[in-house]
Amino acid sequence: MTAAVVILTVLLFVTVVVLLVVMQHLGAARSELAAAPVMSPPGDADPISGSDSSLPRLVAALDALSLGVVVADANEVLGFRNRSAEAILTSHDARSIINRAIRELLVEAVRGEAGEREIELFGPPPTTYLIRAVPLLGEPAGGGGVAVVEDITERRRVDEVRRDFVSNISHELKTPVGAVGILADTLRDETDLPTIQRFSERMSNEVHRLSRTIDDLLELSRIEFADDLFIDLVPLGSIVDDALGRFAGAAEARDITLRFEGDRDLGVRGDRRQITSAISNLIDNAVKYSADGAEVVVSATVNGCTLAITVTDKGIGIPGRDLDRVFERFYRVDRARSRQTGGTGLGLAIVRHVAQNHGGDVSVRSKEGHGSVFTLSLPFDAAEQVGAPTEQISEVTT
Amino acid sequence: MTDSDVRIEFHESLDELRDDVIRLGAMTIETIGKGTAALLERDLLKAQQLIDGDDVIDTLAVTTEESCYRLLALQQPMARDLRFIICSLRLVTELERSADLMVNTCKAMRRIYDVTVSPSLRSLIEDMSIEAASLTRSAIDAYVSSDDSLASALDDIDDRLDDLHAEFVEAVFTSHDHDGLALRSAVQLALIGRYYERIGDHAVNMGERVTFMVTGWLPELQGVARLELKSRRGSPDA
Repeated sequence: MTAAVVILTVLLFVTVVVLLVVMQHLGAARSELAAAPVMSPPGDADPISGSDSSLPRLVAALDALSLGVVVADANEVLGFRNRSAEAILTSHDARSIINRAIRELLVEAVRGEAGEREIELFGPPPTTYLIRAVPLLGEPAGGGGVAVVEDITERRRVDEVRRDFVSNISHELKTPVGAVGILADTLRDETDLPTIQRFSERMSNEVHRLSRTIDDLLELSRIEFADDLFIDLVPLGSIVDDALGRFAGAAEARDITLRFEGDRDLGVRGDRRQITSAISNLIDNAVKYSADGAEVVVSATVNGCTLAITVTDKGIGIPGRDLDRVFERFYRVDRARSRQTGGTGLGLAIVRHVAQNHGGDVSVRSKEGHGSVFTLSLPFDAAEQVGAPTEQISEVTT
Repeated sequence: MTDSDVRIEFHESLDELRDDVIRLGAMTIETIGKGTAALLERDLLKAQQLIDGDDVIDTLAVTTEESCYRLLALQQPMARDLRFIICSLRLVTELERSADLMVNTCKAMRRIYDVTVSPSLRSLIEDMSIEAASLTRSAIDAYVSSDDSLASALDDIDDRLDDLHAEFVEAVFTSHDHDGLALRSAVQLALIGRYYERIGDHAVNMGERVTFMVTGWLPELQGVARLELKSRRGSPDA
């Protein structure tokens, strides 16, 4: 499908290039091309399609492309540029760097050298452009060059996510296995009892870590599969109690206050187990990254047909550049710290999948040194709240 | 070549000069973001790339400056065109200096690259970087669109960066006193804060030059007038 689109684009492209070079020879400006319904002089039939009116249509088609297209004549003067290219060539922002690269590559192309260049702009937003320029040789082009500018940001992002995933998963799985192997080798010849105890304790820690990672991977896989969803109307209060209960011990040990604000009787339509898992993961992170004695607040607010469950902490926060990526599997803001906190790197990926399974969304606002606010938004139907006593709902879900 | 051809060529040269200044501005703004990322990620490779890349900015600055001199010498422009070229010439220097400050930032980072900086300091560095880039962006926007209102506002907009800088220096002291941040590292961090603050000042300078380009009036003329008044008042006593 993509290949077909590319081939069609290239064909369209070559057609217009040829026609434009002909038009340049006739001394016609592009503005005149756009204005005149019939582009060629009477009797001068279009060499490609035989239709006199095809050129404006092709120009319009090129303008509709997201690719930028720029044509230079044999004197290295820039002629036709489609709408996307025009936006780049006249920009005053970071794209002016692309502008110069296009001109340089086109000059080389006119002189017979095809070339390409990839340019990363920091932004914000970060953007990556790929510019390719080729010479236009022989008749009817009569020299010149054409450059195509493509925004490949999304492709690069997907590549990066895939590459990081492979490297992170091997890190998460291989590190504990490697540690266990080395510790076992050391223990084999060890006779000193305290050393044996210390090493076996470390082995046990590594095995538990590996076990948690595998548990989370299985959980994520179940949630991704999404066909064992048990959708019901569940009272929010009981879900939050359940989730908060899991971390009460850890929070108390560090003097962290866990608090819920909102209407406990609100009904959430969804899979109890999954939503509890999502909220638990958010609370787990909030507790892990908060300082001793801090406060973690879970709150629920209804806005129209959305129920927003937020988990707020005043912890270390997340750097701006990592915010877009924290929901990826195994993505780590700080790999060194992750060893201390003992997380598996899958918690937020689980939250994202739970949100997607329920037709909702998860988002984050954060500032380093000031804390984070995670919001799990789920669809909410006020009508089904009315006349649905909490006791009955509890019966259904248990 | 007719007079008309000469005029067209002259105006094309002015357009090219404007495009070069815009590009220099874009490269400098990119440098602010990239340098800050290198600093916060303690990425030595990115820092080295930025330091090496400064040669490209310097080269563009030199060639743009030469274009200005050539236009002044060969075209002998007047009035608005003359002010445009003079303004461009000054902007080149300010931009090149701002890019140098990011090189300084990267070099300072290399001196303390093994030091863990607290999240609140990191957050303030990010905020200062955003403000510095935004001010430089606004200065370029004011230049491109000959917007003297925006150009004049830069001085007040810069107050935000000045406040952030003051807050950052305080936070460095606190980190030194309470989090065990070594004095040597604290000094480097304070310098880094100063570099961002200076980028803001360069943007304000650019704004003043744009005001001059658009109106023919330079904010510094107020100071000149004050000094003249003082010396006139002072002369009978002398």
